[in-house]
Amino acid sequence: MVYAPEKSCEMKLLLQKISLPLAEFSLNVDVEIQNQVTAVFGPSGAGKTSLLDLIAGLRQPKSAIIQLGERVLTDTAGRVHVPTRHRQIGYVPQDLALFPHLSVQQNLLYGAKGTRTRDTLFSYEHVTQVLEIRPLVDRRVTNLSGGEKQRVALARALLALPQLLLLDEPLASLDTVLKSKIIPHLARIRDEFHIPMLYVTHDWDEAQALCSEALIMERGEIVRRQSI
Amino acid sequence: MTPAEWQLLWFTAWVSAVSTILILPLGLFTAWLLARREWPGKSIIETLVSLPLVMPPVATGLILLKILGERGAVGGFFYRHFNTDIAFTWRGVLIALAVMSFPLLVRSTRVAFEQVNPRLEQIARTLGASNARVFWTITLPLASHGVIGGALLAFARALGEFGATIMVAGYITGKTATLSTEIYHSFNNGEDAHAYRLLGMSVALAFIAVWSSEWFMRRRKAAK
Amino acid sequence: MHRALYLTEYIASGPISRVKSLVRIPALLLLCAVLFDAAALGAELNIFAAASLTDALKQIGANYEKQSSDKVLFNFGASSMLERQIEEGAPADVFFSADETKMDALTAKNLVVKETRKSLLSNTLVIVTSVESNLKITSPADLAGKSVRRIALADPQAVPAGVYSKTFLEKEKLWSQIEPKVVPVDNVRAALAAVESGNIKVGMVFKTDAAISQKVKIACEVPADAGPKISYPVAVTKNAKQVEAAKKFVEYLGSDDAAQIFTKYGFIVLK
Repeated sequence: MVYAPEKSCEMKLLLQKISLPLAEFSLNVDVEIQNQVTAVFGPSGAGKTSLLDLIAGLRQPKSAIIQLGERVLTDTAGRVHVPTRHRQIGYVPQDLALFPHLSVQQNLLYGAKGTRTRDTLFSYEHVTQVLEIRPLVDRRVTNLSGGEKQRVALARALLALPQLLLLDEPLASLDTVLKSKIIPHLARIRDEFHIPMLYVTHDWDEAQALCSEALIMERGEIVRRQSI
Repeated sequence: MTPAEWQLLWFTAWVSAVSTILILPLGLFTAWLLARREWPGKSIIETLVSLPLVMPPVATGLILLKILGERGAVGGFFYRHFNTDIAFTWRGVLIALAVMSFPLLVRSTRVAFEQVNPRLEQIARTLGASNARVFWTITLPLASHGVIGGALLAFARALGEFGATIMVAGYITGKTATLSTEIYHSFNNGEDAHAYRLLGMSVALAFIAVWSSEWFMRRRKAAK
Repeated sequence: MHRALYLTEYIASGPISRVKSLVRIPALLLLCAVLFDAAALGAELNIFAAASLTDALKQIGANYEKQSSDKVLFNFGASSMLERQIEEGAPADVFFSADETKMDALTAKNLVVKETRKSLLSNTLVIVTSVESNLKITSPADLAGKSVRRIALADPQAVPAGVYSKTFLEKEKLWSQIEPKVVPVDNVRAALAAVESGNIKVGMVFKTDAAISQKVKIACEVPADAGPKISYPVAVTKNAKQVEAAKKFVEYLGSDDAAQIFTKYGFIVLK
């Protein structure tokens, strides 16, 4: 599939009647988003990771309608649940989840359908160049620094040609110097690859640098929407 | 050691190895199911799988004899249609060993699978991998040391199996006698020297098998 | 004994003395019972006997208990297994074997009281098949035939019934053809059970074993003069705890009452 970039990619993400009981409260979300990059803001334990898990199809909600663009991914009433592997949603979790037994290159190519496409945008060469990880490809994942791991995880998700990218506090474990180095890469992903992103953070500066709108979550609910 | 004793050692090791290999597919699948899936009635399967571990081996052997004997459901079928006996042959030994060591394999490999970070499997799925691909490329490689350790443990159990074997296959010298049943047999016949040599072999084999199993399990912990 | 009494006194004089003193009396009685039980109530005899004697001896034992204060406990099994157990120190008072070699072995190790040794019984061998089987076996030679796949025998290497069978078949020059089909089992009753259950279609047991089973039929008998010399000796063991009681029981085994029961079960009583 050739991913044709549009000028600005604002795919609609519909999260309707989401209900998922969690440990101390219930996740209850009802929102429609149409942005390039949306920040999800909130204190720890507010349910942000659970929300991402639901969107990726890794957890089953009690009730939900999740729609990305024209595709209905989840509809509990209509008994629709597209399995994770067909959702084409990239996920960079907080602990990055790089496969420790595989090399960097094997990690990158794990989900890559693009190595054989002629699409230069998502080709292996282009993605590794944009994220500046070419010199790392033969290394073992355990020998990478924090920033390097972060970029590899991003590249891995990109190479799987996602229609939506979920990022769970991607810069949380990095120091300010590294953060300032990676934010431009994320901006390039936004501007060059045009993939809509849902960006969980509790750093307002990051949100400002990358996002056009912020959803503020508290105890499982979106209490406020704010343009940035 | 006499040639007959070497043959006995070889037969015991061979039939234990084959029985372990035989239970690997179903064992790994069951372990994976128990580690990664929930369903109503799961505890019943867990209990059934553990039964041969806790029941007296001769009791399990009796059940197997009823099924595999000439009058039994399975044994009768094979006799009528293929003119093949199961009870009192090496096939009976194989099945007895497989059944008795199955629970040990499942328990050990289940633990190994549970120790694989589920996040890794989830991310693999977001990258488009099917359940089978996730298993073969992520779960199994990361659990490999525990799986091998579990298989070795099952092998060790099979080496020492007595109660079920003696019920299902007796101790026909040269045909179904294993190290353990032969020790019993020769002791009863007053062949002490023979029994003690076999005892020595048993201890050596068991030691090697369990030691290797522990070594693999330890390597897995070190890799974390 | 004294320490035990002190203990009970001590408990009794404690704060909960009333309850404890109530406990004191039954505790003392129990203590006495345990200490004086053996001598006052009659001997408990452990008889190690061949499996083929199971039914006959149980009945004889029950009769003996009625006319004596002694209690008779049986351990039935393959004579070879019992011999091993006695050698390892198992608490037997009397050994009743199905062949002479086991008794000879124990005599050589000085484990039996020689003067009490007597050969009491004989028996004959039969070939049995399960009741619903239609195998045609009219002579031992048929065992070598194609229709017989497996034969249940008490382990021919050591268990008397199996040894006798092997001796007989060797004499008939049939053993080399039959041996590959033999499934050795622990004792003659196990051979019987194997044929009864249908797991093995043919077996060789004593005539007395076949007689007590409804689920096998005798296909062929080995007459006493054609078969091996079968002899069941009995003796008191050297390490018997109740030597006098054991001797009395062995005497009883040779009595007419016992002989009547043995004959009823099909044994040949030797004079």
